[in-house]
Amino acid sequence: MLRKKEKKLIVTFHTTADAMAMEKACKEAGTKGRLIPVPRALSAGCGLAWCAETEEKEQIARIMEEKKIEKEALHEMFV
Amino acid sequence: MNLSDSKKKLALAGIICGVIAACLAWFGNPANMAFCIACFIRDTAGALSMHSAEAVQYARPEIIGLVLGSFIISVLTKEYRSTAGSSPMIRFVLGMVIMIGSLVFLGCPLRMIIRMSAGDLNAWVALIGFILGVGTGCIALKKGFSLGRAHLTNRMSGGVLPVLLTGVLLLSVCTSLLKASVSGPGSMHAPILLSLAGGLIFGVFAQKSRMCFAGSIRDVMLMKNFDLLTVIGGVFAVMLIFNLATGKFVPAFDTPGIIAHSEHLWNILGMYAVGFAAVLAGGCPLRQLILAGQGSSDAAVTVLGMFVGAALCHNFGLAASGTALDAKTNEVVAGAVPLYGKIAVLICIAACFVIAFLNKRKESK
Repeated sequence: MLRKKEKKLIVTFHTTADAMAMEKACKEAGTKGRLIPVPRALSAGCGLAWCAETEEKEQIARIMEEKKIEKEALHEMFV
Repeated sequence: MNLSDSKKKLALAGIICGVIAACLAWFGNPANMAFCIACFIRDTAGALSMHSAEAVQYARPEIIGLVLGSFIISVLTKEYRSTAGSSPMIRFVLGMVIMIGSLVFLGCPLRMIIRMSAGDLNAWVALIGFILGVGTGCIALKKGFSLGRAHLTNRMSGGVLPVLLTGVLLLSVCTSLLKASVSGPGSMHAPILLSLAGGLIFGVFAQKSRMCFAGSIRDVMLMKNFDLLTVIGGVFAVMLIFNLATGKFVPAFDTPGIIAHSEHLWNILGMYAVGFAAVLAGGCPLRQLILAGQGSSDAAVTVLGMFVGAALCHNFGLAASGTALDAKTNEVVAGAVPLYGKIAVLICIAACFVIAFLNKRKESK
């Protein structure tokens, strides 16, 4: 399972439901990305996070604005 | 040390926790219970006289150690965050459901894994129910289930449960106020310092690895992510080796000695309720203790719900009985789930459905 680490955009949320809403919204908008467990380095909690390409940042911000999905934080990190 | 950046390290965390469980069983804990969260909360509730089932009363240092271990490591690593406010009373009810389901099956998800590793086929049957329960919870998540977000709260709030449990530990060591079984599972325990140390270390590794039985299956279902399942695999592997090495691996139904029963439907439904409620509450019984330790008052309320659920189970005779050998006649008496226990499980499952499909995420303003 050796995989090169790449810099990704990670969006964390206050609730799992927000993360699920994000997945739905991004699918509808055709924006690439996927749900992942919140990286351990970011949180000791066990929620879900949205993982996308860093260049999608603006697109993702727009989707969250439109769908009124509140983020907890936005990170750019290697995963 | 970062314990979660590779599957190998996650498996290692599972292996260490498995070794702790095996050691505690070796040094006196009921063999196939070893480190059951539900059983041990039930025993602790008994020690506090919340119920009067004489065979299951003992303030288990493991439970106290788990919460303190998680508390200490999260304070040291600055991960302690005192949070609260995510529908606490619903979580209280979910805690009760988790405990009632567990005591009808006779074990939490951790003990289910331990029983599976000892060849107890009843636990393998119950696994079906657990997976279905987690699956139902995942459907609810997909449909927008939410208990609302938690907020940062007064720093002391998250420390209350660790302090209260330290009090229970002091009471059990320094006074004779607490009850302690003289026979039955409650009387079987490893030396107190070993139990406490085992709990502390288990708590640290569980906090670091985010070990969770419900979460592991949830992550596979929702994201095809096998990280948490790797931890569980580690626990299972170690316990399997321990059981094989000590001749305790007996693949069978209706085995006296293992505290279990073979009412398949109720094993399935009991664990169905546990899996369902655990996904809604955001973690299995073990995970609730760990989250409570790192400052979540919501998880602490779930733990209190589990204590009350345990008391209800024994005060109202809801808990199942294990298959046992009658000492006089030497006959095997099959364990069973009492009628009220069956009704309670059905009510619990109904409650889960109500909670799951009536608590929806609100579009934020």
